[in-house]
Amino acid sequence: MAQIELKGVSKRWGAVWGVRKVDIEIADKELLVLLGPSGCGKTTTMRMIAGLEDPSEGEITFDGEVMNAVDARDRDVAMVFQGYALYPNMSIYENIRFPLRMRNVPKDKQDELVRRAAKMVELSDYLNRKPGALSGGQRQRAALARAIVREPQIFLMDEPLSNLDAQLRQAMRVQIKYIQRELQITTVYVTHDQIEAMTLADRIVVMQGGAVQQVGTPDEIYSDPANTFVASFIGAPPMNLIDGMIKDGNFVADHVEVPDVGIKTTGQIRLGIRPEDCAVVSSAEQRHNMKGDVYGVEPTGDMTVLTLRVGEKNLEIKADRDYRSELGVQENVVFDTNRLYFFDSQSGERVR
Amino acid sequence: MASIRRVKGENLYIRYLILSCWGLFCLMPVLWFLSIGFRPRTEIITAQPIYFPTLSLDAWHMIWSDWPMAKYLRNSVAAIFGSVMIDLVLAIPAAYSLSRYEYRGREDIGFYILSTRMMAPAIVAIPIFFLFRNLGLLDTIWALMLVYAAINLSIVTWIIRSYMTDIPRELEDAARTDGAGDLRILWEIIIPAILPGIITAAVIAMIFVINEFLFTLLIASTPDAYTMSVALANFTGGSDGVIYNAIALVAFLAFVPVFLVVIAIQKHLSRGLTMGAVKG
Ligand SMILES: Nc1ncnc2c1ncn2[C@@H]1O[C@H](COP(=O)(O)OP(=O)(O)O)[C@@H](O)[C@H]1O
Ligand SMILES: [Mg+2]
Repeated sequence: MAQIELKGVSKRWGAVWGVRKVDIEIADKELLVLLGPSGCGKTTTMRMIAGLEDPSEGEITFDGEVMNAVDARDRDVAMVFQGYALYPNMSIYENIRFPLRMRNVPKDKQDELVRRAAKMVELSDYLNRKPGALSGGQRQRAALARAIVREPQIFLMDEPLSNLDAQLRQAMRVQIKYIQRELQITTVYVTHDQIEAMTLADRIVVMQGGAVQQVGTPDEIYSDPANTFVASFIGAPPMNLIDGMIKDGNFVADHVEVPDVGIKTTGQIRLGIRPEDCAVVSSAEQRHNMKGDVYGVEPTGDMTVLTLRVGEKNLEIKADRDYRSELGVQENVVFDTNRLYFFDSQSGERVR
Repeated sequence: MASIRRVKGENLYIRYLILSCWGLFCLMPVLWFLSIGFRPRTEIITAQPIYFPTLSLDAWHMIWSDWPMAKYLRNSVAAIFGSVMIDLVLAIPAAYSLSRYEYRGREDIGFYILSTRMMAPAIVAIPIFFLFRNLGLLDTIWALMLVYAAINLSIVTWIIRSYMTDIPRELEDAARTDGAGDLRILWEIIIPAILPGIITAAVIAMIFVINEFLFTLLIASTPDAYTMSVALANFTGGSDGVIYNAIALVAFLAFVPVFLVVIAIQKHLSRGLTMGAVKG
């Protein structure tokens, strides 16, 4: 159990910045998710917490104690690696036992702990197998068991589910969350999958280009994004961004008009609206905010993703599951005006 | 469909035929040795190119009774085995360092180690002779071990390094976060994971020195340190002239153990032999 703090942490390789001045506080027992596209510095941040990489600048503390100079093996963190990193020549039993053996846990206690951990991840029947003889999901669980077996201060998980198929991923997600709650261990979880982040996290740290973009609960990240990057990274399909102007308090763009948006500035601005906050209106006479031609119709079962060609841009709308249309048909769309976001055209920062 | 399959089948027969011819061609010297080794000395030189000799065990008895062949064999095995052990003890940590740690001049050191292999043996022959004389190691198998180890150290290091480079870094990181130190990681994670590579390197080293002649002749001056390869030279000259059938038998004896080992590990061997070509 530990509270973690990163203060101005950077990692640089020559001219390459992996991580740039990151400040994060992680509360005891919290499940914090680092979310961002590939190459944004998630793994590097996690490796610095684990002690596998030395920060170029800044301080990492556990419970207020500076850890920069402490070796990885003495930090009492357990890590689940993206590629599982099971020891290929050892059986699953030996794999799970390895951390106990390294920390000189009494022999008779070892067996009990190994079996308990294996049971938690439902691998009891596979203890004698070598990792090579397990499926992806089983290897994943074996890696998880090896991490939980000694109840470390901190769990670090680096995209642990990225190699699994969708169904298994959902099941493992639930299992990870359950185990984390039960063991009450501070956890940092890395992913590039926003669904995983939204469903697992107590709080999410959105990263891009090695820098933190926003820290917040899943709700805050979704409904109160700090900039266009966060806005368009969260949500599927992503938030629509429309470049336009504020004129007399109204937002105006090509084929788009939203009256009285309550923004005080004038001139160039970028409007953000989520596909789920748009609706197709049935007749042209009804009040609407946007006009476009049908460009694509993708039924997904529980809804239909409608892509409209609006001026030069394609914008997406989550329409009713029964919605069907022909290509090229003109449709009118109304926005939920309580859920409009405005961003600075240049910096992408939120304008309130 | 059927016709395609038949063409494939015919292809297969042609392939086997060609490979069999090639195999026979490669094995010819070995069969030749056997044939000469087990015929009487009087029949060694014949006019007919194809000749079916009478079977004779004269040479077989001679090499075991008139010469301490068992001792030579023992010397060979001990010197080679010892040298390979020395190589592994030195090469594994060196390869670990070269494949894992980042430091200045790492590539240069790697190349320097390899370059020792490129030196002409004659250049160091005399210094080595004086070195071992001063150490009082002349005419011992200890000296042979050291020389053989030196001959192979570079290649063994490079082969093992190539295998180690292929081990995912995550594996070591996992062991480190699990609480293992460098030596533990090397011993419990790395070495078991690259065991095929280590065996390959050991066998290649063995093949390279089993026929070593120059340095062995330099160091060994009595049967105390004679190996199979030098023993061969004993059958030429002297009052008996060149004893071809004994030479053939001894050469065959030196060949058999290597042959068996190579068959046992041939799957890994090609990887070890091509490592210079595919790895930087
Ligand atoms: N050892 C390294 N040397 C140089 N650059 C590196 C090294 N490790 C990572 N990087 C760079 O740092 C950035 C962040 O990498 P990483 O943390 O692995 O990203 P993520 O896990 O978010 O995909 C990438 O641009 C990557 O190329
Ligand atoms: Mg990564």
